[in-house]
Amino acid sequence: MLEARAFEPDFLRRLDGLVLGVQRSRTVREGRRTLGRVQGLGIEPESFKEYTEGDDLRFLDWNAFARLDDLTIRTFRAEREIEVTILVDASASMGLPREDDKLGFALGLAAALAYVAMASNDAVRIGAFPSAARGGALRLQTSALHRRRETYPAFRTFVSEVRPGGATQMSAAVERLLLERRPAGTVILISDFLISAAEYEQALRGLLRARHEVKVIHVLGDRESSGDYPPGHYRVRDSETGELCEVTLGAGAAQSCRRRAERLSSELAAFCASHGMVYARAFGASHFDDIVMREFPRLGVMR
Amino acid sequence: MGLLNPRNLLYLASLAVLVAIYLRARAKPTLEVSSLMLFDEVAAPVASSRVLRTDLMFWLEMAALGAVSMALAGLYLRTTAKTPAHHQARALIFDLGAGMSARDRRWTRLDEAKRQALEMVAEAKPGDSFSVIGYTLEATVYRAQTAHIADVRQAIEALKPAALPARAAAMRAALMRAEGAAEIDLFADRPPAGDLLKSAGAGARLHLHQIGSPADNLAIVALEPGTVGASPGRVVVRNFSDRPQVCELVLELDGKDLSNNTFVLEPRGQTVLPFGPLEKAGLVEARIVTEDALAADNHRWTFAPNEKPDKALVMSPSPEARDDLARVLLAVNQGLIVTAVDPVKFDLKSSPRYRIALLEDAYDPGVKADARLIIYPPPWLERSAPPPWQLPVVGTVTTAEMQERADGEQLDQPLALSPARILSLPEWMDVLAHGTGAGSSGSFPLAGFGYDSRGAMGVIAFSVNDHVLLDPDKLEGLVLTVEMVKRLLAPQDLQVVSTGGSVSVPAAGVAKITSPDGSVTLARADEMGRVRLRPLQAGRYQVSSAGTKAVIYANYYDAGESDLTAAAPARVSSKPAASAETSPANIPARTRVKPIAAWLVALALLAMLVESALLTRKAMRWRVGNV
Repeated sequence: MLEARAFEPDFLRRLDGLVLGVQRSRTVREGRRTLGRVQGLGIEPESFKEYTEGDDLRFLDWNAFARLDDLTIRTFRAEREIEVTILVDASASMGLPREDDKLGFALGLAAALAYVAMASNDAVRIGAFPSAARGGALRLQTSALHRRRETYPAFRTFVSEVRPGGATQMSAAVERLLLERRPAGTVILISDFLISAAEYEQALRGLLRARHEVKVIHVLGDRESSGDYPPGHYRVRDSETGELCEVTLGAGAAQSCRRRAERLSSELAAFCASHGMVYARAFGASHFDDIVMREFPRLGVMR
Repeated sequence: MGLLNPRNLLYLASLAVLVAIYLRARAKPTLEVSSLMLFDEVAAPVASSRVLRTDLMFWLEMAALGAVSMALAGLYLRTTAKTPAHHQARALIFDLGAGMSARDRRWTRLDEAKRQALEMVAEAKPGDSFSVIGYTLEATVYRAQTAHIADVRQAIEALKPAALPARAAAMRAALMRAEGAAEIDLFADRPPAGDLLKSAGAGARLHLHQIGSPADNLAIVALEPGTVGASPGRVVVRNFSDRPQVCELVLELDGKDLSNNTFVLEPRGQTVLPFGPLEKAGLVEARIVTEDALAADNHRWTFAPNEKPDKALVMSPSPEARDDLARVLLAVNQGLIVTAVDPVKFDLKSSPRYRIALLEDAYDPGVKADARLIIYPPPWLERSAPPPWQLPVVGTVTTAEMQERADGEQLDQPLALSPARILSLPEWMDVLAHGTGAGSSGSFPLAGFGYDSRGAMGVIAFSVNDHVLLDPDKLEGLVLTVEMVKRLLAPQDLQVVSTGGSVSVPAAGVAKITSPDGSVTLARADEMGRVRLRPLQAGRYQVSSAGTKAVIYANYYDAGESDLTAAAPARVSSKPAASAETSPANIPARTRVKPIAAWLVALALLAMLVESALLTRKAMRWRVGNV
């Protein structure tokens, strides 16, 4: 299984110099109470703005009011602790093609990202959302939050127990995640995104609405991204829906598959770009190290 | 072509399984993919797939499965390769019994058989091989299978008839020795029994050449000299013809005419002619002068012993046995002065030299006698070295059964004799009678005769107590004892025996043996100073060596063999059957069954290997583990 690669010492040593590409400081917008929750230790004055009705009077600059007789609200920059959630799609489609070990690839990437995130002592957890069966209930599995790298091996048990199954219920999984009402942080969503655009758009929008910083990692196997199937006449079955169709595989079909995968990737990338999300394409498990060490830093997933 | 076990063709039903596998798996394989989204733009198939894909792998599997099924069913090829004429192996088997010496006009039956055989050999193709086998009392291979025609001709020409009956067992043995031959040609004057051919396994390969036609024959059945100066002798003559026969019989004593009688014998009749009593001892010869087909049974000899008053000793602890044995001695020679004594009372020092000594159930104390007959010898004392003239006793049986007479003929019913010793006879003794007994494995000698350095010596293993010799139900025991006494009293240099028996003659160095037909052979005397020979011809044998000379007269008579009126030939071969059989068209085709299971299995393996190679190539090309 490919996830084991993320726990090999030599690989981890190469990750030591990397940090997760997240916005660590954030403006407390307009000093609204609803955002007061993000205030905490290390608050530094950022700016002043004119008081408007509804602003928290605790942030009123009384000294300025005494000198200038003007009601001014102080704004601050907060150095926050970021909670990183790496959400892995564990639907049945992630288990195919078996030769590609797509789920293992995704879990390996998740573990590697978790290790990198722990460099800043951020709280990190990995989640997976398989279904019990085709059309069954969603199961959102999340690990415990870990901050220090000493506890990194605890992720190994979690990722090794994840099994693919059921249909992809990405929006439902995000909804379930948001119900936990965790502070806004960073959510890294790893999936093959072999679902309808409406489905993943709904999920991603939900995360954005909860003010999470979202990074999208799109994984596909070598075979399915290249369409390199044994030639012949086949009855093709969808792993999640069970739907069947007859196709004749060959060079032409492979080209069609490649074209379709590219189109799927470009549509997702465009959506992410338009919503300020980082999109990283990870096609082919055989390039695991290159993707982690070169592509992710290049695309801003890591720095 | 055929099948050893057609039921194993049921394995071919697995072909249906193969078709089912193809229908399910090969005809339209299902490929599970992560999502059909990626195949949205793949064009729909232009043609529907065939239900059964009869591709190369299908035919390879069909071939493998079919070959294995055929191998399990035992497919074989039946080839009918004809034996090439130039490789034909034939066995020529000749009846060499006395009947084959019967004359039809100028030639004997054996001459006719040899002529026919030589014609067959002359017509043989190059490469044909022959074996030459003869039989009388036993089968003898005169020439093993060979393609050297000259050797075969030589072996055939050297065949001689013997004055012996041809035994059925010997014919069976001859047929078995010809087992390796493709064809067997049997030359005999009478057809063999059907079950004999079947038991010998000759079957259809045998071609019988029955030689000769029914012929008239007279035979001297028996010749008794009587007692010199006392009782008359007699001669028995038998007519084997179906019509009356005139018979002129000449009797001679030591070469001088005794009588000359001419009489008519009724068809298949027998007459007894008395003569004498003889005035003196000597060799009596009876001869049928009338010409008939078979000469071997026209002469007979017997020896009339001297009636001079010789001394005889009978030693036995039993008074009854002493009395019976004394009676036997006097019956053979009335001139004997018999001394009957208990061994305990016998005084060796004062005893004279005896002509014959009969020792019954007593140790031989070293009696001085020209001839000794040991009857029921006691075992020698354990841990003491016996004198060389004592016979080693191996054991004792409570009851012994005598199966055959002294002349070798089987008894109608076994003669029960009790008790008897099991003896280990020395090599220089000839066994005259065999017996079997409870508690012993196999047969053991009941009577033996021979010459050692002290003279003639005979042995009888059974006890003669309880008046066994006078019991009318055990007459063969008395006959055996009388024969033994006669032999012992007969001079060593003159013996009258039956043909086929073994004879020992005192000799020194190299002995010259002159047969009745005048042929001479040389034989070296053994360490006991004797020469052993086996007379196969009826007549006078002379054995001469340095300083010694012995004469043996061999008598022949066999009721079956002397009867020359055998059934008409089933197929009289005026022309050898082989001349027609050697043509290639008539050569029997030999059916050969050649199993091809190994080839079929090899074919199946080859098909599987090719299919495996194709699958491996496919798997490597598409990098899949399941193809």
